[in-house]
Amino acid sequence: MSKFILLVEDNPDDVVLALRALKRNHIANEVVVVRDGAEALDFLFAQGSHAGRNPEHLPEVVLLDLKLPKLHGLEVLQRIRAHESTCLMPVVVLTTSSEEQDIIESYRLGANSYIRKPVDFDQFTEAVRQLGMYWLVLNQSVKQAGEL
Amino acid sequence: MRSLISALASPLRRTRWVLWVGVPLLSALVVMAASYALVRAYVLRQANADIRDVLLSHRGFHVYVQQVLLPGYDRALKEGRIPATFYDPRLMSSSYMTRVMHSFFNEERVKDGLPPIYYKMAADNPRNPVNRATPEEAQLIQRFNADHSLHDLAWTLTLHGEPYLERVIPFLPNTEACLQCHGRREDAPLGLQALYPGQGGFNEKLGQIRAVEIVRVPISHEIQTAALVSASVVGGVLGLLLLAMFNTRLRGLVQARTTLLEAEVRERRQAEAAVRELNQTLEYRVEERNAQLLAVNKELDAFAYSVSHDLRAPLRAIAGFSQALEEDYAQGVDDTGRDYLARIRKGCTRMGRLIEDLLQLSRLTRREISRVDLDLSALAREVAEELQAGAPGRKALFEIQPGLRASGDPTLLRAVLDNLLGNAFKFTAPVPEARISFGEDLADGQRVFFVRDNGVGFDMRYVDKLFGAFQRLHDAESFEGTGIGLATVQRVILRHGGRIWAESAPGQGATFFFTL
Repeated sequence: MSKFILLVEDNPDDVVLALRALKRNHIANEVVVVRDGAEALDFLFAQGSHAGRNPEHLPEVVLLDLKLPKLHGLEVLQRIRAHESTCLMPVVVLTTSSEEQDIIESYRLGANSYIRKPVDFDQFTEAVRQLGMYWLVLNQSVKQAGEL
Repeated sequence: MRSLISALASPLRRTRWVLWVGVPLLSALVVMAASYALVRAYVLRQANADIRDVLLSHRGFHVYVQQVLLPGYDRALKEGRIPATFYDPRLMSSSYMTRVMHSFFNEERVKDGLPPIYYKMAADNPRNPVNRATPEEAQLIQRFNADHSLHDLAWTLTLHGEPYLERVIPFLPNTEACLQCHGRREDAPLGLQALYPGQGGFNEKLGQIRAVEIVRVPISHEIQTAALVSASVVGGVLGLLLLAMFNTRLRGLVQARTTLLEAEVRERRQAEAAVRELNQTLEYRVEERNAQLLAVNKELDAFAYSVSHDLRAPLRAIAGFSQALEEDYAQGVDDTGRDYLARIRKGCTRMGRLIEDLLQLSRLTRREISRVDLDLSALAREVAEELQAGAPGRKALFEIQPGLRASGDPTLLRAVLDNLLGNAFKFTAPVPEARISFGEDLADGQRVFFVRDNGVGFDMRYVDKLFGAFQRLHDAESFEGTGIGLATVQRVILRHGGRIWAESAPGQGATFFFTL
């Protein structure tokens, strides 16, 4: 399994739009989508319904929505940062919320970036594109290194 | 009702009056009568004793004459040292001498400022007519003769309106010696016979009482003294009684007042307790209400959070998929279709802004105000620069009075200036030479800030709607806006304890005034 993105998002519309934006930015990496906070942790720690997975195979980046069923995004973030294997994994908080509290709390819990999902599609696309470029560049450099 | 009460009260009042006047008066009368009787009796006893002393001293003199003088005279006569014919009442009659002596006594009394004392030796058959007994006196002589154990008699009487005390004692009973001069005339000394021609003073019987001695003294002074003493006693008693009653009454009044005061103190304590209880209840209620408000605030927070997230999600889907449609399937849609898609996206943008503004309104009005000293001029300049940077094609002149300072919340006042200057900027768009000023005036001694523009203005008839949420005075075609900005501004100003108002006319620009 190659480098992949974990998208934690419960809204199917946002999933489709996010996938489309990634595709339009020519990001061909696999995107694993989980629908709630609990499943995100199950996936990352290879437990529960994802028990058969190799726990060492982690995503390049997690796009984490905050308002999630079962377990809130901030709690997911907290658990990711608390776990040895995932504490350095890049996490970009992705939410519609512009509440200051959420922003402050996300950074406090160790979010790498905060992207508000803008209603405006262009802005959203741009945000995701910039994110995509971040690890795409990394991906390419690794690839280049491999080729050398 | 009132007449009934007074009818019931009046007999009570009368009874009290009777008690208050009658009882002391009656007791005073009784005391006066008793004390008068007592004092009078005492005074009379004293006077009586004095009179008796006078009478007894007279009797002593009589005895002296009888037992010393006359036997001497008798001896001298028998021895022939004096002639047989010698007799002089001035030397030998005890009644004569006593009478004269008494008149001298009276002269001495008068010299001493004392009233004279009446004295009479009253006899049935006197030698000197001066001594003749009146019929009453004669009766007294008979009484003493009838009862030899009777030593004296005394009484009071009134003469010419003056009170007197009279005392009578019997003269010495006739002895053998007496009868030498008072027996038969022919047995008496020759000088005596020569001097008294008639039978007066002769033919007395042995053992008989031939006269009474009467002394009468005026007692008006003593009676006055008695009256004065009893009056004093009565006055004193009456005074004491009144004092006692007054004291009782005072004590009653004090008692009543004390009871009243105690009742008042009790009432006040109760009222105090009630107030304390009420305060506690109020405090409790305030706490309860605060807790409720906190809960409501929390709910509002949750609501705002839901609004920001849940309302935006479908909007984002509509906007995103219409864009995807436009971009990915442009060939399958004609110009009208593309126009519709553009309208959908524009609607989404507008709704997004509405949600954003609503959230801002709720956030700004919910958050705590932290007052600091602010440079409003600098804040306004920042806003102006941002506005001009956001619309490079616009030409607008900002006149910002420098050095305007005020105490307030920086975030909230920034929102105020954002809205007011933003509005001014927006509504001056159609004007060729837009001028927007921010400054300060003094009205009634109070600092008033203002934001003035020369934009399109508005009709003052609709000024009431100016600060209401979702209220707009211009159509969306001409000027974009959500109608929430001024509602936010007003809430911020009110939360700072200030006022905001506006003046305008269509085409004449608008001025917004506010205080902090």
